[in-house]
Amino acid sequence: MNHRAVVAGFKQQKIQFFSDPQWIIPSLVSPFLFTMVMLFLYGDDVDGPIVLQAVLGGGVLGMWANTLFASSFTISYDRMNGTLESIMVAPSSIYSILIGRSLWSTAIGLVNAVVVFVIAEVMFDADLTLANPVLFFVMLILTLFSLASVGMLIATAFIRTRMGRVLSTIAEYPIYVLSGALVPITVLPEGLRVFSYVLAPAWGIDAVKRAAIDGCESMFGVSMAVDVALLLALSSLLLAVAYVVTRRVERRMLETGSATRY
Amino acid sequence: MNGPEHAIVVEDLVRTFKSFMSGSPEKVAVGGISFEVKKGEIFGILGPNGAGKTTTIKMLSGLLTPTSGKAMVLGMDVSDEKSVRSLRRRINIVAGGERGLYYRLSGRQNLEFFSDLYGIPKKEQKTLINGLLELVDLADAAEVKVENYSRGMKQRIHIARALINSPEILYLDEPTIGLDPEISRGIRGLVRKLSDGGATVILTTHYMFEAEELCDHMIIVSHGKVVGRGTVIEIKDSIADVSCIKVVTEADPAVAVAALRAEGLEAGVDALLNGRFVTKFAARKGDDALGSYEGLFAPFRVKSIGIEEPTLEDAYLTLVGGDAE
Repeated sequence: MNHRAVVAGFKQQKIQFFSDPQWIIPSLVSPFLFTMVMLFLYGDDVDGPIVLQAVLGGGVLGMWANTLFASSFTISYDRMNGTLESIMVAPSSIYSILIGRSLWSTAIGLVNAVVVFVIAEVMFDADLTLANPVLFFVMLILTLFSLASVGMLIATAFIRTRMGRVLSTIAEYPIYVLSGALVPITVLPEGLRVFSYVLAPAWGIDAVKRAAIDGCESMFGVSMAVDVALLLALSSLLLAVAYVVTRRVERRMLETGSATRY
Repeated sequence: MNGPEHAIVVEDLVRTFKSFMSGSPEKVAVGGISFEVKKGEIFGILGPNGAGKTTTIKMLSGLLTPTSGKAMVLGMDVSDEKSVRSLRRRINIVAGGERGLYYRLSGRQNLEFFSDLYGIPKKEQKTLINGLLELVDLADAAEVKVENYSRGMKQRIHIARALINSPEILYLDEPTIGLDPEISRGIRGLVRKLSDGGATVILTTHYMFEAEELCDHMIIVSHGKVVGRGTVIEIKDSIADVSCIKVVTEADPAVAVAALRAEGLEAGVDALLNGRFVTKFAARKGDDALGSYEGLFAPFRVKSIGIEEPTLEDAYLTLVGGDAE
């Protein structure tokens, strides 16, 4: 991995973010809407742990929407602009550039989380006292990392296709359900839960909820250490798979000459 | 043929594309071309649309894997993935048209992004980028977003981007297409300057005057095959057995032109000069050319008929035959 290309990808995504109004939708409007829906669902019960769970869920939904939009958009945009070929002819790997762009999305994910909390506090006067603020913050960062790793895999898989943005809408909802952000995993059918077990963000969300809510039980019935270990292991695995996919997709594009098609 | 004086050596290079229609044959974009390019020269690849020019450049820049044959660029095999990775530091490419830039970024930000991808040391970056912006005459527009650039400005920032790694070989794929004459002239001057600085330039173009002005050597490709090669003079000489005939008539000689085309001659009414029709075509020498063609054009009131020195365009049209556009 080339750190200069990582920084370049991060900087480019940052400039793009501030100069393109459409980014406001996934990074600010989406989390706002998700949180509003969640809080309206829970009505007057604004002081109990359920509302904190709802706010956390809304935050994760917003973060995932942002990650997914950024992941699918990033290469589609390069295809559309004809810059995919310009970056392919450069010596840095596309993977490094994508890592940089994902890091920017992760940073914006934190902004999402803050927006969600501010909305809940200011507009709904919800009691959002965190059981362990420091641990919560650490777990939130790790969850963002896991979301970014899923986003990386999606971004690399989308390099070859011209339908990245369309396919991303299909990928949006399953993560909401399977990660436990929308509803606890325990309410899912047994067969479906298997997918949650291999989904890195699900372990992060489990840990975030436990760090935020006093006495919150694990969705998986495991300790916090297991949550973190599995999150890190699965995220690392996703990043490794993303690396292999990038190399293969890049090679395939050189064989088919499909980098310029849009 | 592969000596240190050669920047590029291509031998029997082939590139085919699979057809999307099942059962359809593969499309041959490049059908076994061979040529050499000396270091430091401007080498032209001329040909009509779909002749295989861009495909050839993409293979030579490592953006497309050849189907078969061999291409050595700076001594490295473009079919070898590892070689291509090393090669990328030493070459660059400018694709024709307006795409290939980040529109929301300024000209300077685009150059900074690409200089990071090439690992240009931070302390050299500012000087290098300022120099490139001066070179392409965009220093005053450096902070303007590319989306606000004119077509000519976009093409110039493209060239600056492609020079970010001081490439030993620069591929220019129709760099002046769609540009006005003044900007095109500026870009041609820039290409000459780059060549004078030691870079090898591979240029594809439709414009004969551009090739004539810039190229030390060239190939003419048609249907993926090389149909002509050499210097401008050598290519003109390659049609030495052909007479270029110019006929000026008072009436439109469309019927005569159709008759020539039916004989397989590449003929066309080139211009309407003072209300008169100027027809040019190439005919084989030694057929008492003028006498027989004067009769053909007589119904259209011939004002003059004569044999001209062939231009590069005449040679090009003769070599590519009916394939030219």
